[in-house]
Amino acid sequence: MNGKTLYTPQHEHDSCGIGFVAHLKGKPSRDIIDDAITMLQNMEHRGGTGADENSGDGAGILIQIPHRFFKEECAKVGFKLPAANKYGVGMTFFPSESVLREKCRKELNKYIRNLGFKLLGYRIVPTEKNTVGQTALSVEPISEQFFVQFKDETTPEALERRLCVLRKYANRTIHELYTQTLDSFYVSTCSAKTIVYKGQLTTSQLKPYFTDLSDQRVVSALALVHSRFSTNTSPKWKLAQPFRYIAHNGEINTIQGNVNWMKSKATLLKNSLFTQEELELLLPICDSNRSDSSNLDNVVEVLTLSGRPMAHVMMMLIPEAWEGNGQMSQEKREFYEYHASMMEPWDGPASICFTDGKMVGATLDRNGLRPSRYLLTSDDKLVMSSEAGALPVDQSKVLFKGRLEPGKIFIADLEQGRIISDEELKNDICTRQPYGKWLQRSGLKIKNLPISKEKMLPPLTGHALEDRQLLFGYTTEDLKVLLGPMASEGKEPLGSMGADTPLAVLSQHSQHLSNYFKQSFAQVSNPPIDSIRERMVMSLFSSLGATRNILGETPGHCTKIKLAQPIISNQKLHRIKTIKHADFKCHTIHAVFYTDEREGGLENAIESICREAIFAVKEGFNLILISDRSAKEGMAPIPSLLACGAVHHCLIENKIRSRASIVIEGGDICETHHFATLLGYGAAAINPYMALETIEQLVRDRYFNKGVDAVEAEKNYVDAIGKGLLKVFSKMGISTLQSYQGAQIFEALGISTHVVEKCFKGTTTRIEGMSFDDLAREVLVRYDLVYKLRPTKEKNLPVGGVYQWKQRGEFHLFNPETIHLLQQACRKNDISVYREYAKKINDQSEQACTLRSMFLFKERASIPLSEVEPKANILKRFATGAMSFGSISYEAHSTLAIAMNRIKGRSNSGEGGEDEARFVKKENGDWERSAIKQIASGRFGVTINYLNNAIELQIKMAQGAKPGEGGQLPGHKVDDWIGRVRHSTPGVGLISPPPHHDIYSIEDLAQLIFDLKNANPKARVNVKLVSEAGVGTIAAGVAKAKADAVLISGADGGTGASPLSSLRHTGLPWELGLAEAHQTLVQSRLRGRMVLQTDGQIRTGRDLAIATLLGAEEWGVATAALVVEGCIMMRKCHTNTCPVGVATQNPELRKLFTGKADEVVNLFHFLADDLRRIMAQLGFKTVNEMVGQANALKVNENLNHWKLKNLNLKPIIEQVVPAKGDTHHNSSKQKPLDKDVLANRIREIAKPAIEKGKTVKAEFSILNIDRAVGTLVSSDIAQKHGSKGLAENSIDFKFKGSAGQSFGAFAAKGIRFELEGESNDYFGKGLSGATLVVYPDRKSKFVPHKNIIVGNVAFYGATSGDAYINGVAGERFCVRNSGVKVVVEGLGDHGCEYMTGGRAVILGATGRNFAAGMSGGIAYVFDPKDELSTNCNMELVEFESPNSEQEAEIKDLIEKHLEQTNSVLAKSLLKNWKSTIKAFKTVMPTDFKRAVEAKKSNQKKEELAHG
Amino acid sequence: MGKPTGFLEFGRELPASRDPKSRIEDSKEIQLEFEAEKLNKQAARCMDCGVPFCHKGCPLGNNIPEFNDAVYKENWGEAAKVLFSTNNFPEFTGRICPAPCEASCVLGINKPPVTIEQIEKEIAEKAFDLGLIQPNVPKNRTGKKVAVIGSGPAGLAAAAQLNSVGHTVNVYERDNRIGGLLTYGIPDFKLEKRVVERRITHMRQEGIVFKTNANIGDNVKTADILDQYDAVVVCTGSTVPRDMPVPGRELDGVHFAMDFLTQENRRVCGEKIKREDAIVATDKHVLVIGGGDTGSDCVGTSNRQKAKSVTQIELLEKPPLERGEKDPWPLWPVVLRTSSSHEEGCERKWALNTKVFHGKNGKVTCIELVEVEWTLTKNGKQKMVEVENSTKTIACDLALVAIGFLHPQRTGLLDQLGVELDNRGNILCEDYRTSVDKVFAAGDARRGQSLVVWAISEGREAARTIDEFLMGVSVLESKNRSLLRV
Repeated sequence: MNGKTLYTPQHEHDSCGIGFVAHLKGKPSRDIIDDAITMLQNMEHRGGTGADENSGDGAGILIQIPHRFFKEECAKVGFKLPAANKYGVGMTFFPSESVLREKCRKELNKYIRNLGFKLLGYRIVPTEKNTVGQTALSVEPISEQFFVQFKDETTPEALERRLCVLRKYANRTIHELYTQTLDSFYVSTCSAKTIVYKGQLTTSQLKPYFTDLSDQRVVSALALVHSRFSTNTSPKWKLAQPFRYIAHNGEINTIQGNVNWMKSKATLLKNSLFTQEELELLLPICDSNRSDSSNLDNVVEVLTLSGRPMAHVMMMLIPEAWEGNGQMSQEKREFYEYHASMMEPWDGPASICFTDGKMVGATLDRNGLRPSRYLLTSDDKLVMSSEAGALPVDQSKVLFKGRLEPGKIFIADLEQGRIISDEELKNDICTRQPYGKWLQRSGLKIKNLPISKEKMLPPLTGHALEDRQLLFGYTTEDLKVLLGPMASEGKEPLGSMGADTPLAVLSQHSQHLSNYFKQSFAQVSNPPIDSIRERMVMSLFSSLGATRNILGETPGHCTKIKLAQPIISNQKLHRIKTIKHADFKCHTIHAVFYTDEREGGLENAIESICREAIFAVKEGFNLILISDRSAKEGMAPIPSLLACGAVHHCLIENKIRSRASIVIEGGDICETHHFATLLGYGAAAINPYMALETIEQLVRDRYFNKGVDAVEAEKNYVDAIGKGLLKVFSKMGISTLQSYQGAQIFEALGISTHVVEKCFKGTTTRIEGMSFDDLAREVLVRYDLVYKLRPTKEKNLPVGGVYQWKQRGEFHLFNPETIHLLQQACRKNDISVYREYAKKINDQSEQACTLRSMFLFKERASIPLSEVEPKANILKRFATGAMSFGSISYEAHSTLAIAMNRIKGRSNSGEGGEDEARFVKKENGDWERSAIKQIASGRFGVTINYLNNAIELQIKMAQGAKPGEGGQLPGHKVDDWIGRVRHSTPGVGLISPPPHHDIYSIEDLAQLIFDLKNANPKARVNVKLVSEAGVGTIAAGVAKAKADAVLISGADGGTGASPLSSLRHTGLPWELGLAEAHQTLVQSRLRGRMVLQTDGQIRTGRDLAIATLLGAEEWGVATAALVVEGCIMMRKCHTNTCPVGVATQNPELRKLFTGKADEVVNLFHFLADDLRRIMAQLGFKTVNEMVGQANALKVNENLNHWKLKNLNLKPIIEQVVPAKGDTHHNSSKQKPLDKDVLANRIREIAKPAIEKGKTVKAEFSILNIDRAVGTLVSSDIAQKHGSKGLAENSIDFKFKGSAGQSFGAFAAKGIRFELEGESNDYFGKGLSGATLVVYPDRKSKFVPHKNIIVGNVAFYGATSGDAYINGVAGERFCVRNSGVKVVVEGLGDHGCEYMTGGRAVILGATGRNFAAGMSGGIAYVFDPKDELSTNCNMELVEFESPNSEQEAEIKDLIEKHLEQTNSVLAKSLLKNWKSTIKAFKTVMPTDFKRAVEAKKSNQKKEELAHG
Repeated sequence: MGKPTGFLEFGRELPASRDPKSRIEDSKEIQLEFEAEKLNKQAARCMDCGVPFCHKGCPLGNNIPEFNDAVYKENWGEAAKVLFSTNNFPEFTGRICPAPCEASCVLGINKPPVTIEQIEKEIAEKAFDLGLIQPNVPKNRTGKKVAVIGSGPAGLAAAAQLNSVGHTVNVYERDNRIGGLLTYGIPDFKLEKRVVERRITHMRQEGIVFKTNANIGDNVKTADILDQYDAVVVCTGSTVPRDMPVPGRELDGVHFAMDFLTQENRRVCGEKIKREDAIVATDKHVLVIGGGDTGSDCVGTSNRQKAKSVTQIELLEKPPLERGEKDPWPLWPVVLRTSSSHEEGCERKWALNTKVFHGKNGKVTCIELVEVEWTLTKNGKQKMVEVENSTKTIACDLALVAIGFLHPQRTGLLDQLGVELDNRGNILCEDYRTSVDKVFAAGDARRGQSLVVWAISEGREAARTIDEFLMGVSVLESKNRSLLRV
């Protein structure tokens, strides 16, 4: 790309289908390869294609070296191969351009020679390109294999090591020599054992392209396959997988940190198996230019070749969640703790298949966020893949079926000819060394450090304290809104509505440096985590001290000071500062700069502290303490973050980073985001001494109502920050502090490249901004107040005004004036008042607030207003924001809907479902139906009928105000009505999980889009994203996943409740995200098939015009519409006390609602009029003509505030020229769903049932590629019969085989599906009344209740119906179930998570974290071994013995289960009913119980009253 | 913050007043004490709005939700700190402010607003009672000298602010007591003079020098002032009253309201008024012309002087009881306001234009009025039309003209300073700087007649400008500007 736009390739993501087939006894055969390729092709739907349908994102296969084949083929070429395994094969991409190719070859030959090899010869790999797409062919390399023999006799392991050195050295040196070969020269594998065939291909092209793969002589005992779905669009052959050791399905979220840490770890490498020279040739191990998977492969490689078993390596890199796991054996925990001192987790969702050519295995991340299913047959075939049934096998031969469980490893040793269980394997590895003893000997706890005699500084009080607070930028708001609540409640404070204050770089208030950093978050390409409900996978563990050689292991390796969490008290800091210990030396660096050097002073100081740090570390200091305590008159504090980042990066540059830990003693550290940024840029422990002293002050001043003392207040504060940090990690899908440290999960907004290069290297910064001097100036404003300007004057802290509008505070777009004017304009329908309002919003010349305020329209030839397309065309393009019924009142919600229907725009249901009564038009023609139905992670009320009453289905991936987070509707907002609409219990709080549990990656999103298009083929599918760096590539991925529209929301969008730190510090304004998305879509030739929409603080016609010019053809307006309805920005939505009846469910307050649909209509008319006026001025006749014409904008150069002078906004308005035939706006439709044969057949056969009320029966065979079976026909039912569906069992179908994902998704009432075989993920998702039955193939011989039968996330968001599962289900069974009754014979981790209704009868073991966040419904668990209490998350539930009513219910359901599935287990349980029922536990959500009992007693009272 | 549901639980309540019959027997404050518990509930009604319109409505930009919260928490130290940080004299505004904050209180959209003014008064008094307010003598002096001319609310506020940052401040007052309008204009039953004196004492202790009977341009030379001071701020108020040029205006018994009120204030202070100069309402039929606050003060004062009858007339129509479309929330509503003085007995009439004062023996006996109607012109302006054949007369032997003030007095000081005036006759300023070097102006003299709260605001803002002028940069607060401004 041209580098002028916002697109940055580092943000590309991928995700995939993976698997392997192996012969357990190691017998090579053709079958293995053919089976693997068949499997790969059956996962085509997990891969992606770009604008060019025939260019895949990449596919590949790893096999053992087919010796006989090569021997014969090489002989044909004219050289002879030695015996098997005595030579290495280098599978290589060469540049297609011949001169360059020969240059590369010449170099390669030289290295082969120099490294002691003999070149045997080259073989050109035959390829057949006729099926391959144009895009891929345009960069197609030439594939050749080189064959080499080592000059001396050597062991196979040594040969492998040398081949690795050759490959790495050649790759790196040739890239350095000929930089243009970065993508075209590439040695895929260089090994004596394995070889990879891969390329920018679709799964079905792989075999035809490499004709070798069809050769009968090409045999292997194992084959690893991978198909790639990438959000990126610039083709790269080398990024296809598998790599040399692994095939990776997932995403390493912490890659930046991992790569940085490896830089310095690499310099410490020592290993007896490698010479030091060889180790140097291997460098760099990692490289930020490579993909995350490729980097991981490289680390796996070096750790494996240095002598560790692969399983050991996997345990080091992707450890289980060990910190809070009481069930884990001591040895294992010690193993993990020991290894934590040398390697931080490579954190993120990951399913990894790995092999060293002799054994093959797989592992899953700690959270189990990727599906992996396996089976073994009686003829020793082991099959593992992302989907069950991808390789059809004879079911009668299946010995067992399993799934990879979170954190578990599964290995088949082909030499030993057996499968080694996770337990055996890990037990073996964990007991190889006395890790526990080593830990005891070398590990230290901070509280055990001796206390030095040196006195600590006394705490500040009175004016001295106030002066320091002022110096470090405290405001009264910080005390009141942040510190106070944290110290009294132990939680982060909540807020509501969006942030409408200026970006830090535009603000004219002295900013905290952290404010320039926006947290990144997970959307689409990987899932965020629920840090509260899934606390068990999260960790704040941190340690201080040097890291040693990662290729070795000695007791000394774990010489570390361990911290349970990174926030340390003044006393603990003192112990570190004054440490006297043989293994630890602490050096304090004073982070201050001279105030007389107003120019250059700060940068000089940064340079000097860097020199000091380097010197100290080289001198052997392994604790570097950066302190701003010494700030005083003449010396201003350096922002802690700046000092930390600078030291961190200078140590990385000098490759000595891992030799010391950075500890911060900072006066400017107060809120969660401050801690997060410091940790993200390398700090390991933080002492926020000013915050702690301020809390003491609050205690002294009796700030807290309820007598909280200082100790408790400090503890609460630390707890609150800890929780906040976990939330920050989890929104990026990161589980552990260790891997978050230094991972730089931020985008800088408004920091100059110069500063970033020095202090935050690797951080995206796209609009430039503050220099060192500028940053100094912001500090000096505060410094001057304290020291320079009449120091004796008693000062008050500034008011802040960030969370609340204040006269002396920060600017807000919505302030008393603008709110008033907007309300008056719409009430009086007076456009002159609207203009006055718009002028106030638009004219930000005094105080810029938004990026768009910095743009001007260019002078262009105007046209008369009459030539501009009519207003009606424009009104259709408006949508309101997604605000749920629940977060806002019925009155506010339905008024918006009526208004939008009147103007033919679209209102959005939000995530709270919608009352079916609103689907019918009113007599006066008004319609309360929301045209857009949202599908959010909570799936509240998402039934088939809901989905069919929409013209647009919007998948909410993230919300501007709190991207990466879930939500919570507090119980007091759930009244009877809302409870009914959301299928939940009134009075019981509701949780929306942070991720959609059916979207952990891009291919999952493609699946949900597919499901929704089946659920309502007429509706358009829109994916809502939030602006962040990289959202463009995600939008491209969404386009490839065949969504029809994508919404780029600004991070400043509103909310009903969100932690304040999320409101302010996560995500970016829409200008950046929209422009990036538009630019990327145009460049990747996907723009025309998508509608691009934007929202977030859109207030006026000018905002609309700029959005349009930057690429949006539709716009959402939410807050402004609410203000017209009467909202006065109370920002109290989360307290249910909205005094104007908008965001409340209190019936008294709802009565005060005065909003009128007419007034809302007036707003949209004003906006459309305003836009038309600008269109005329700029000469655009239609919106389509105007979309993406960023050339019509220029940057306003007349804004003269000094902070703005270094900004560069040009990349935002860089106009990309579409390829010939492409458009800037939406001009075509996505390709319709494939003519899915099975779905259409079902539909045809079901017709009589739907149209004539007949009963239909039929049988079908089914494959894993048959996805969302039953959804399309359910749509037909809903369209015709609404929510009441059909009579029971009207459609009674039987399927045989392995069902694809989403079997029975949203299946309607009247359907009964019986599946003989098995099913993949999302079984019964959104079930809407149907009955699902599944049992194993009748021919199979395994015991059903010990084998897996349905995949992960079954019955997600299901609302009604029943199901009987004769086998074990995967992870997250019944997540967010709100009404389905189901019987199952065992399940994985996180079962019944967030469940709010229905019944789950579980006849076998549950995994860990059962019932987390479960607030309704009942689970009955058969628990004869009394294991449930250790596996259950007891936060919201309690155990009971079933009462008689419940016993009857359980028995009834088990009897049905037997009847439906013929379950052996059910039969035996019923037979011994008396003992069976004794072993049952009722898992009852506490709130639910209370609510149900209250209802019962109310009913009784009523009965008595009426009786 | 406070009590989130307070506004749903408690209604608006103000302290009771003394019985009108007995309170007109003296000039003491009329409000009774308010129980602490009740006050707490009133503070709990504050919703701590995301956009506190009250805070915008207050000319001083008082941080109202913050002090309400502190009162709710009974944290008087905090409450006083918040309140005094933006308002030098809440003990004045807590008593006599018409409370534009309450008019824009969000609760006022559909419920009676929070009793902000009352809370303000309680905080101020509590602060004095508990000793939270102590004279704050600056530790260092800048060596710069400032003359404040006029000791009304604007001058006092400017003086207090300038002194706080170490400037040496002398306040010049041409009268024999400090306080200007606070002392001479506002009757004691609204603002007891001990309250003003308490503040003056404080200010003296802080180092401010007050010079009374010092009429610059008259008994003090203007040039001397300009010579002796580094800066001069003119806060002389808008003292020239608007007159009504109707026949009979010269009759005895027709007086400007301020002359009447000032005399009474002097009397209450214990001064003697010469009999021949005395304007008293005792046993008279009093007619107050003008329906504003000054008029209302005349009503209260007349009743205390035992007038036979008191009638108040107003040119404009009788305002509605509730807000109309013209003044929707949060604008200042033109509604019928009934002051405590009105409660004490007074006949009020509207839409009457004064035509002639009739008299006997040079003394006024009655007034001739005509009814008027107000209509809107096409361009939205109000237009007055006299109603035909509606002339009437009202008997009166004391007529008090309370129809506002025009501008500051020009003769003397302003003429000698030579400051430019605006087209209304007020001192022309840019950011409180007059056209004359180192001369500044604030309050009604610059702004035209207005509220005490505005005068305080002007004094504060001017002080900031002066501080900046003297020192290059100011550390004083400004109501629209953060200290953290970069």
